[in-house]
Amino acid sequence: MIRQIFGFIAKFRDPFTYGTAVVVAAVLYLTASSLDRGQQNDLTSLFLLMTLALAWNLVGGYGGQFSLGHSIFVGVGSYATAVILTLLGWPLIPTMIIAAVMSALIGLLLAYPLLRLRGPYLAVGSLGMAVAAYGWMINWDFTKASQAYAMPKEAQVDFATMYQFATVLLLIAIVSIVALVRSPLGLRLVALRDNELGAASIGVKRVRTLLPVWALSGLLTGAMGAVYAVQQGTLTVDGTFNIQFSLDAAIICVIGGLGTLSGPFIGAIIIYFLRKYSAEYQNYALLIEAVVLVIVVRFFPAGIVGLISKGFRAIVHRRAAAQK
Amino acid sequence: MDFVNNLVSGLLLGGLYAVAALGLSIVFGTMKLVNLMHGQLLILGAYLTSMLIAVIGGGDPLLVGIAAAAILAVLIYPVQRYIITPVMAQGEEPPMTVTFGISVVITTLLIIIFKSSPLPTWTVDYATTQWEIFGVRIREIYVIATGIALLFVLALMWILKRTAFGRQVRAASIDAEAAGLVGIDVKKTYARVMSLSSFVAAIAGVLIALSFSVAPTTGTGWLLRAFTVVVIGGLGSLPGTLIGGFIVGLVETAGAVWIGPQYRDVIVFGVLVVILLVRPNGLFAKVAKA
Repeated sequence: MIRQIFGFIAKFRDPFTYGTAVVVAAVLYLTASSLDRGQQNDLTSLFLLMTLALAWNLVGGYGGQFSLGHSIFVGVGSYATAVILTLLGWPLIPTMIIAAVMSALIGLLLAYPLLRLRGPYLAVGSLGMAVAAYGWMINWDFTKASQAYAMPKEAQVDFATMYQFATVLLLIAIVSIVALVRSPLGLRLVALRDNELGAASIGVKRVRTLLPVWALSGLLTGAMGAVYAVQQGTLTVDGTFNIQFSLDAAIICVIGGLGTLSGPFIGAIIIYFLRKYSAEYQNYALLIEAVVLVIVVRFFPAGIVGLISKGFRAIVHRRAAAQK
Repeated sequence: MDFVNNLVSGLLLGGLYAVAALGLSIVFGTMKLVNLMHGQLLILGAYLTSMLIAVIGGGDPLLVGIAAAAILAVLIYPVQRYIITPVMAQGEEPPMTVTFGISVVITTLLIIIFKSSPLPTWTVDYATTQWEIFGVRIREIYVIATGIALLFVLALMWILKRTAFGRQVRAASIDAEAAGLVGIDVKKTYARVMSLSSFVAAIAGVLIALSFSVAPTTGTGWLLRAFTVVVIGGLGSLPGTLIGGFIVGLVETAGAVWIGPQYRDVIVFGVLVVILLVRPNGLFAKVAKA
């Protein structure tokens, strides 16, 4: 019986995943007005954290490339939104789309050289890029250097709209990531991660596979930065080009489960609530986070998702054994 | 004269960078581990020294630093033995993630205990004295740092080449499995290497605190500087680390003079990224001897 149910789900896996995501997002979108402003703001933060983690997971989890440079995308997305709105006065939504596209281009630009590096070198190389970008931005007069950059009036939307932006963005992130991971490109991506030599021997090209993945990750993270800019209202280099974004994304994915679809969601919810309910003890929250990270890597390398599926498998096996 | 002045101060600053990078270099050279908590070990060394001075009620930072370094080495031993080494079987990235997690633990603990304000500076003569030799002005602390860098490189090379422990380390770094088969306890050896590395790091941390302002969050910047030094010098090579330190010191001083001191970080980390891209194994990459 259980096996048949699973077989049924497997058969309709793709429509099931997309359908669920669309329905849930539609419900969230339409019920925006029933939430109060605090809830709208909280959920926006949570959805943005999820989007960030999902986008990072594409590169760091499925691609096996431990990027510590994703803060650049957040920064580019948010500052591009602010600068375009201020200088060109475009409407908000096209601006955010253009900002995301710019971030995707930056993704290509960074990934092309970074892809020569592997493993820990890529992590350190991308960290160097992030710190260099921060050092550049904090001195760049065009974006008011270390001073705050106020978002113009066009970006001041009410909480419900902001929440709807975040919902739509999260939906786009889920659908595009599922589509990519289950496409031939996604298979090549995972093959490269699991066995680069083996994948290369059957004709998988490393750079050609990874570039579009970095571009998509940059696009989604940049869009997240754009919505984040709208939520914040005022931008600072410290608040946007902060390495903390890369670290958050990596911690969330490692705790939830690297290279899984549900891992970033579970990790994001854990981290979000840990921070929310220990806001006065910010440093203690970070301490707990770090300790949890170490414990998860040390004892549960597959993350919480790995732990759950292991337990689940054990139950199914026991059932199967009992039936025999 | 300005040119000579900058050249000399750049080189001597490089000596300080070399000490800061030595610990990272030996850990990478023997375990192939990218130790992301190295920056925090440096800072922790400075804070431990400061605490010890407060407990003793005075004392020379460098001498007290030796005691602090010994304490740090003892503290780090179990961390490597029971947390990092077991994870090393999973591949390259998990141990790196663990060291990153520990680095956040160290930073937040320091912030909780000492708040995020910088460490109060120690008032010792050699931290502020400037010598003037043939019109060239040099900071005494940089000279001391460069001297300690040379001393440590020679001492570490002697340990690795001439002692039984050094032979075990080299055997474990060439082939851990074979080393295990001939009776070397590889796990203990790794933990000892990490202890040695944190001992050197703590002394380097004291030198850093004597020359610059140190706060709980300054570790990451020093990690990246140390990493730049190690990458330029060839990963795992001790003399290379010394040369790498001098190069980074010169580049940073030159950049500060020609482009502007506020772009120091951009220049150093830009150089790091460019070198990683052009020569992923370092400028002077050879088969690591250490």
